[in-house]
Amino acid sequence: MIHPALRQRQRWVVCSLLALIAVTAVIGMGWGYSSLSYGRLLPTLLGHGTFKEEFVLYSIRLPRMLITLLAGMALALSGAILQRTTRNDLADPGIIGIHSGAGVGVAIFFLTMPLKPDSSVYLLPLAAFLGALSTACVIYVLAYKKNEGLQPIRFVLTGVGFSMALSGITVVLISSAEREKVDFIAKWLVGNVWGTDWVFIGTLLPWLVVLIPYAFYKASQLNILGLSEPAAIGVGLSIQTERISLMITAVALAASAVSATGGISFIGLMAPHIARALVGPRNQLSLPVALLMGGWLLLVSDTIGRNLVDPYGIPAGIMVAFIGAPYFLYLLLKK
Amino acid sequence: MVRLSTNELCIGYGSRSIVKMLSVEIPDKKITTIIGANGCGKSTLLKAMTRIIPHQSGAVILDGKNILTENTKTLAKKMAILPQTPEAVSGLTVGELVSYGRHPYQRGFGRLTKKDYEVIDWALEVTGTAEFKCRPVDALSGGQRQRVWIAMALAQETELIFLDEPTTYLDLAHQLEVLELLQKLNVEQSRTIIMVLHDINQAARFADYIIALKDGQIVKAGNCEEVIHPEVLKQVFQIDAEIGRDPRTNKPMCITYNLLKGEANREKKMDSPRTYALAYH
Repeated sequence: MIHPALRQRQRWVVCSLLALIAVTAVIGMGWGYSSLSYGRLLPTLLGHGTFKEEFVLYSIRLPRMLITLLAGMALALSGAILQRTTRNDLADPGIIGIHSGAGVGVAIFFLTMPLKPDSSVYLLPLAAFLGALSTACVIYVLAYKKNEGLQPIRFVLTGVGFSMALSGITVVLISSAEREKVDFIAKWLVGNVWGTDWVFIGTLLPWLVVLIPYAFYKASQLNILGLSEPAAIGVGLSIQTERISLMITAVALAASAVSATGGISFIGLMAPHIARALVGPRNQLSLPVALLMGGWLLLVSDTIGRNLVDPYGIPAGIMVAFIGAPYFLYLLLKK
Repeated sequence: MVRLSTNELCIGYGSRSIVKMLSVEIPDKKITTIIGANGCGKSTLLKAMTRIIPHQSGAVILDGKNILTENTKTLAKKMAILPQTPEAVSGLTVGELVSYGRHPYQRGFGRLTKKDYEVIDWALEVTGTAEFKCRPVDALSGGQRQRVWIAMALAQETELIFLDEPTTYLDLAHQLEVLELLQKLNVEQSRTIIMVLHDINQAARFADYIIALKDGQIVKAGNCEEVIHPEVLKQVFQIDAEIGRDPRTNKPMCITYNLLKGEANREKKMDSPRTYALAYH
């Protein structure tokens, strides 16, 4: 029961976003600390570049852009799912403590592991993932009341509380760490897209390949979760089962993204909102838009951020916050 | 044998017990109305019968099976619920909301089949909401919105339809409109309607079977002649009611009533509007 005009509009939005992503990617490929002129892009892509050009493109810029794109998608989808399952428009994996949970996971991992750039680093996403998942579980258990089920407002409040407590724990943990490790963790926390290696794409991609189709598959269940609980039960939705499986999906998406990019907030809040404003609340239409919007937003933020200040740039997480914080305020004022 | 019944049903929140050992049979293909004072457990009973809230002991039996052991999607093909004061659904159009009623019949990605579209159109048609199909639900008036929610329940194609105070917040004409729609569904399509109503005269006029509750127990269950009776109303609402006949429908109706509890109570109530009026000036 979707109006054909709306469907048409959604196709336009999706196509425009794809085009924007493509344009941003091309700009990003040629813009950076090491020079790779736009004229040399095509030959380099076709394999006729010099060693230096190929190194810059294939080992630095492409993996980084791909990581930001995928992570942005994962965060946006995670936010969209959380906003529906908790029936709270302000839900976002960062705001409800999943990021800080992953942060503690990363901090503990780094403090107990020797700092070596070998295989142990690739276990890092796992540490972040476990940190995020256990945080989400604890928040869920605390917010859950036997008679009322999971109340969205309790969930968000508990999440905010946890987010703060866990940030505190992270600070305590890293204050006793070695200088080098502290640097890394501190940068991780603000979201500096550190995993710019093809291996990290390899660890992020499987999650997305499984979870994006799953989320789309659950679009109509998500629609109904947006109704009140009695109405949702009335049309035959197993509320608790759906909520739990979808929240695990959201946590897995956010955790896998965050483990490669660090604590990037606001993407999960903004992208689903913009998507709904563009194509309406029906998830069959808005989820794909949110997905692409998230990917694009993070890609743009990182492309600008890494080129603003030489040579290390501004972490993408901070760039996103520059856009996200005013948007968050705007949402609050509009309510 | 009726399709739906409860057997020694106890419902409560924590240690507080709301409905106690309640056994009742809901007549098939009739309109059943649950009446009672605020907090008597009428909504609670309706919610427990529709698995929205759990019960502590006893059972709700539908077609010989305990509803708690039944698959919730299977149940949604048998019973539909119109919750009390359905909330705002930002941005959804009428057609989209009504299409959610097809959820129990959907698989996979939730694509609507031709049959689904037919049922949705029919539900919109019956409830007189077809013209709003592409409009956002939030833009409709209270009465229209209520009919849209009824359309969503109808799209579930269930024989049993539960409604929790479907006339609340509606003006007189819209109240009647909703109740007449339910009556039409009952008569023309032999749906079993079970609803909670506040207005005893509406209950008398539209219900075939009335269940009067007090403190979570049945005071009287029967047809309107048996329940809309001074003795019963005295027990249920603590009122001294004057029962007459509706000159148009010839059903019993409460013409006027007094509170049973002392004068002081009433004086206080009479005072309060004046106090407000003064404060307003």
